[in-house]
Amino acid sequence: MSLFRSEDMALCQLFLQSEAAYSCVSELGELGLLQFRDLNPDVNAFQRKFVNEVRRCDEMERKLRYLEKEIRKDGIPMLDTGENPEAPQPREMIDLEATFEKLENELREVNQNAEALKRNYLELTELKHILRKTQVFFDEQEGGSSATESMTRALIPDDSIARQAAGPVQLGFVAGVILRERIPPFERMLWRACRGNVFLRQAEIETPLEDPATSDQVHKSVFIIFFQGDQLKSRVKKICEGFRATLYPCPEAPSDRREMAMGVMTRIEDLNTVLNQTQDHRHRVLAAAAKNITNWFIKVRKIKAIYHTLNLFNLDVTQKCLIAECWVPTEDLEQIQLALRRGTERSGSSVPPILNRMDTLENPPTYNKTNKFTSGFQHLVDAYGVASYREANPAPYTIITFPFLFAVMFGDLGHGILMASFAAYLVIKERTLGAKKIQSDVWNIFFGGRYIILLMGLFSMYTGMMYNDVFSKSLNIFGSNWRNNYDESTLMNSKALQLDPNSTAYFKYPYPFGLDPIWQVAENKIIFLNSYKMKISIIFGVFHMLFGVLLSLWNHVYFRDRLAIMCEFIPQIIFMCFLFLYMVLLMFIKWVNYSADTIDVKAGPYCAPSILITFINMVLFKSSKNPDVCDDWMYAGQGFLQKLLVVIALLCVPVMLLAKPIMIMRARKQHQPLMNAGHTNNAAENGDAGYQLDDSMQQVQPVPAHHDEEEDITEIFIHQGIHTIEYVLGSVSHTASYLRLWALSLAHARKSP
Amino acid sequence: MLGSFFNIDGGYLEGLCRGFKCGILKQADYLNLVQCETLEDLKLHLQGTDYGNFLANEPSPLAVSVIDDKLREKLVIEFQHMRNHAVEPLSTFLDFITYSYMIDNIILLITGTLHQRPISELIPKCHPLGSFEQMEAIHVAATPAELYNAVLVDTPLAPFFVDCISEQDLDEMNIEIIRNTLYKAYLEAFFAFCKDLGGTTAESMCEILAFEADRRAIIITINSFGTELTKDDRVKLYPKVGKLYPDGLAALARADDYEQVKAVAEYYAEYRALFEGAGNNPGEKTLEDKFFEHEVRLNVNAFLQQFHFGVFYSYLKLKEQECRNVVWIAECVAQKHRTKIDNYIPIF
Repeated sequence: MSLFRSEDMALCQLFLQSEAAYSCVSELGELGLLQFRDLNPDVNAFQRKFVNEVRRCDEMERKLRYLEKEIRKDGIPMLDTGENPEAPQPREMIDLEATFEKLENELREVNQNAEALKRNYLELTELKHILRKTQVFFDEQEGGSSATESMTRALIPDDSIARQAAGPVQLGFVAGVILRERIPPFERMLWRACRGNVFLRQAEIETPLEDPATSDQVHKSVFIIFFQGDQLKSRVKKICEGFRATLYPCPEAPSDRREMAMGVMTRIEDLNTVLNQTQDHRHRVLAAAAKNITNWFIKVRKIKAIYHTLNLFNLDVTQKCLIAECWVPTEDLEQIQLALRRGTERSGSSVPPILNRMDTLENPPTYNKTNKFTSGFQHLVDAYGVASYREANPAPYTIITFPFLFAVMFGDLGHGILMASFAAYLVIKERTLGAKKIQSDVWNIFFGGRYIILLMGLFSMYTGMMYNDVFSKSLNIFGSNWRNNYDESTLMNSKALQLDPNSTAYFKYPYPFGLDPIWQVAENKIIFLNSYKMKISIIFGVFHMLFGVLLSLWNHVYFRDRLAIMCEFIPQIIFMCFLFLYMVLLMFIKWVNYSADTIDVKAGPYCAPSILITFINMVLFKSSKNPDVCDDWMYAGQGFLQKLLVVIALLCVPVMLLAKPIMIMRARKQHQPLMNAGHTNNAAENGDAGYQLDDSMQQVQPVPAHHDEEEDITEIFIHQGIHTIEYVLGSVSHTASYLRLWALSLAHARKSP
Repeated sequence: MLGSFFNIDGGYLEGLCRGFKCGILKQADYLNLVQCETLEDLKLHLQGTDYGNFLANEPSPLAVSVIDDKLREKLVIEFQHMRNHAVEPLSTFLDFITYSYMIDNIILLITGTLHQRPISELIPKCHPLGSFEQMEAIHVAATPAELYNAVLVDTPLAPFFVDCISEQDLDEMNIEIIRNTLYKAYLEAFFAFCKDLGGTTAESMCEILAFEADRRAIIITINSFGTELTKDDRVKLYPKVGKLYPDGLAALARADDYEQVKAVAEYYAEYRALFEGAGNNPGEKTLEDKFFEHEVRLNVNAFLQQFHFGVFYSYLKLKEQECRNVVWIAECVAQKHRTKIDNYIPIF
């Protein structure tokens, strides 16, 4: 039965020995069948009993995240065997903590070393670049002025400065490296702050350098600034500091520079080897961690989940045991008992846990068991609304109706095959694909709904065959039942010709399966299909809605709600049948009674009535105005019957609206004096034991908030009003909405060629 | 009419901002926070709010400064996200908001260098919203003129600084004067900008900025007692956009002690209320806190109207107040000094 209704639930009280609680909850967690209730809702998150353990888990998770980040940085693949380790015992937590602590410290140390080394390396490379680039600056000058003139003087184009200083002046310079994007403001600032008395040359370092702190690749430039005097020097240095430029000593004499460059090169090489070793060490540490990290994550998260659950429990007065309240599906009580026993054994506790069923007036939660096939459909239904406890679950029917209604719109054999094969691929590969844990939202929608898509594809193939559409082309399998009965000259001379079904052009019996392929070449294909698909849509829609109303009957029967059957279901079904099912009936009458291959004008295409107009006239109590040759009505007594149907259907609306609340009100009025009388009697006689017991029971039972016995009568009226309006307007607008089946089918057919 | 076009450019960001605003801690959160025994408790509780896991990657033990930094970082990220998506005139508006942080940063750096602190130590203390390229080279300047010519001329603050160039050298007094002159110019410019924008933005922002201007005027006056600042100089520092302008400011200019300032405030209904409950005795709130409370009230009111830029300003200010609150509580918790833990300023 559980396929059609949510599970039978029971509220249970669970007494767990405090030493066995952890392993019991662990076992129950693996089972995943219980819903625990928070027994201390007023207690803050940080004042609960196991908050320290939760915090330790947080800390472990943080370390693991750090490890994971580092592993990702190095691009080491993380081993995911897909295994599901059990939650470790609390005492193992300390081991785990120690392991993580050790790993983290080791890694941090390695990183620190590596960073220091990298910084060193960066400095040396920058120095190398400076020596190389500045060489170019110096060379340029020497090459430019072959005379023996001081090279530094030639750098200053403005002679006035040199003249002012009288004679060759000693220009100082600083060289350094700066981020490339900071060059323009740097230059501007130098100009402004030093009033144009400095000279800046810069050259880009082509290869990007690695920033040791963030290990990002950054572009930098070498610069050299010439200036005169100490004051300017300090100012330039300040600006360099402000722009985070690193300054390096750069010897003036070319020979010193060459020597320094050599020294730098050897030191870079030395450093490279050391750096490689550090990297190797880091890689080894991380590779070892990468093997276990997924496992560790699962373990830590399980521990955390267990302690979170334990935080929901109550401690009893003696502190010896924990009390939990949970919702349990009654069917699985055995399994839960078994799991509890396993948990107790594992913890080595001697006292078995106690699972008590409690009586409650609260509404239990809805729990629908699903498997991998139904879960997609269940999610689809739950997205619209979760049924109340033990209400009929619409999901099983959706398995057929949803893909089918989709297919009515999508109907195309070719597209259906594509869709079904994509879904079939997902279904066949579901194990390997599921293990990949792809995070993308779009992918997860497709993967989660793979069975839905598969069914949608298969149904689309069926409707595609019915519509005789394969990538918007037709298949002529059985041979068309129409033939061309015009001679060649007529064919050559006219643009469009009509095939009369009342002539030899038609074989008088239909194409064996689906739509005749001849329609594919017909000019009026769309017009023909429109009327056909519109009617089909309405027919499906009305039956779909009727089915929904019948499900509500099943619910009322299940809950023994006679009142709802009488005052809700019956008027509802009458309303639906008398208006919309009748319209469907008219369609069938039209299909059966009117035909093209008849000589009777009254039953021919000229007199065939429009169902839509007929229906509108029916609701408006108007008689149809047909041409004189035709009958006014489709059958005898139609006018009277239609009026009757509409009147009865409309009369059902006030019944739906008022009957149930009025009945409830009356019932309450009769009930209340009786209750009061009983009470006084009871007090006077003081002897009715049975009644007293009942009374005391009621006092013991806490009155839950959701109890609707005392629901206000106005509330009931409002609810019933909303429900009625929803139903009446809904059935009208839904009928119109089902036309969308046709509209989308049309859109699909028009768009795809 | 303005409102109907607002959503074309500002709709997304306003929605985003209002969403962010819903994450501001409520009174119930504060009640829980003040019950915390340790900073770890604080972290655990903040995890349950919109802050989420912002402290999750910090190793224990936590320090208040870390919490402060992270709170600010989150706010800055949110603000910069909005700034990056903004188009004119909202982008200018948001830039205007950052100018006040720039002023604070400049003053901080100058004061720091005046006390011979290395610049690398000062930079982390600067507010990230007010950072600009040339900021770190600020210690090149020895005089206001140099400061202007070398550093500030490229920044958006340049027009505000023009009045300060005349100051002779950078000593403590002058820095304070520069700060207030800058701020005065900034407030007046911002006020004019909001007025130009018109519509609801002008309505809500001018109210808030007017209060800001008046607050500065009052505080400058109170702080000037017992210093060498002359009354004439003091008048020059009053921003002339508030409700006190012109009569109140003229009266303030003549004030000689706290009581006289209070007497001036008597004429203005909202400021009278602030002065009435204020005091330095235990159990009384300081005038500063009273001002903060009023500011929060004004900023909360900005959210009552739609289609205006005030919400961005108000959100930033409210969030800043929230950071101050959380840091205050964290500080009280860390120092085990619980008597004053309730002195935070609730927002909602």
